[in-house]
Amino acid sequence: MSPTVDAAAVAKQAEQLRQEGNFCFKKDRFGAAIDAYTEAIALCPNVPIYWTNRALCHRKRNDWKRVEEDCRRAIQIDHHSVKAHYMLGLALLERQEYAEGVKELEKSLDLGRGANPQGYMVEEIWLELAKAKYMEWEHVSTKRSWELQSLKEICEAALKEKQLLDSSHTKGFLDENTKSNAEQLEALSKVFQKAAENDIPTEVPDYLCCKISLDIFRDPVITPGGVTYERAVILDHLEKVGRFDPITREPLYKSQLVPNLAIKEAVRAFLNKHGWGYKMD
Amino acid sequence: MSGPSPSSRKGLSKIACNRLQKELVEWQVNPPVGFKHKATDNLQRWVIEVNGAPGTLYANETYQLQVDFPEHYPMEAPQVIFIPPAPLHPHIYSNGHICLDILYDSWSPAMTVSSICISILSMLSSSTVKQRPADNDRYVKNCRNGRSPKETRWWFHDDKV
Repeated sequence: MSPTVDAAAVAKQAEQLRQEGNFCFKKDRFGAAIDAYTEAIALCPNVPIYWTNRALCHRKRNDWKRVEEDCRRAIQIDHHSVKAHYMLGLALLERQEYAEGVKELEKSLDLGRGANPQGYMVEEIWLELAKAKYMEWEHVSTKRSWELQSLKEICEAALKEKQLLDSSHTKGFLDENTKSNAEQLEALSKVFQKAAENDIPTEVPDYLCCKISLDIFRDPVITPGGVTYERAVILDHLEKVGRFDPITREPLYKSQLVPNLAIKEAVRAFLNKHGWGYKMD
Repeated sequence: MSGPSPSSRKGLSKIACNRLQKELVEWQVNPPVGFKHKATDNLQRWVIEVNGAPGTLYANETYQLQVDFPEHYPMEAPQVIFIPPAPLHPHIYSNGHICLDILYDSWSPAMTVSSICISILSMLSSSTVKQRPADNDRYVKNCRNGRSPKETRWWFHDDKV
């Protein structure tokens, strides 16, 4: 027997083990699935899907340390693996490595969009990413608002003390003094109000929202008529409603859609400043 | 009016639900002039009060619109009818069905309940005569089995309104 035939036979056997693993996985028998994938890996360690499938089983069992290990191996073999970056991101978030976890999710989102912009993975990854970003914002903004509040109290106390000191030097014009003192305190309060503004949830501006979904843009594309839509939404429209631009009603084909990078940047800048915009429901 | 229309028997999709919630918030902040949304907890069926515009044939008259949203709104048009008594108008049948192209063939997902309302009011306002469509009796008889206006093959009498 030649070595190539051997290799083919081994690959075939590993593939059978994967099928077996998938079968067990569908029946929620994760332990048995892990055993099958482990055997497949022993035979063919260079097939990334064996690693990501095993990682998925570990995820189901909340064994995040092993999820991370398997995903890292899968990425070593194929650094374009959507699932490996996605689950690695989740594992990192699980141990509160926000920045790194978010980075992995963003990477998997970009890869997923390239492969299939309307796929379920893209939606799932976005939701996880938004959840992580929202949690991160909640954490940071709570801290920020406490710090501002205590700084405000200190500044007010200091200002009042100074006003008291000044009034003991100047005699008369009491009314005028009281008035300007109150104005100073009000101005100080406005400064602090302004500083807290970005962290107060309001409405996302219309120009950052898709005219069909009314949701903030994730992957905006522009039509020849100059109107911007969310990619998955306009693709759905072209498929189900008709081949026209929903606003201008001009004929429109899938191939005419171009990414609107400027709006994408604007959304990114907005969300960096207003993390509450990641709230999905 | 009566039971749910065929198109609204299925619940709203997540996308539809999300969009309708946003439309409702926008409506509450900025309602179209002459319309009032009657608050209910049913997101899938809106009942809207319409007041005829001053200086038109329908001034000082009040009607009710019923809007039913399909599972895949806004990729599919909502069903919009007047709850009888419907206004006397050459494009409105006595059973409340409205002959207006944007509700059927010319629907676009970029339209909203608010923009539909504005179109309907402008259709009323531009009317010069208070009468039923010529084929009213025949049409209404054909709809007796509870047929939705969305299943009608409309031919649009003119494109002015």
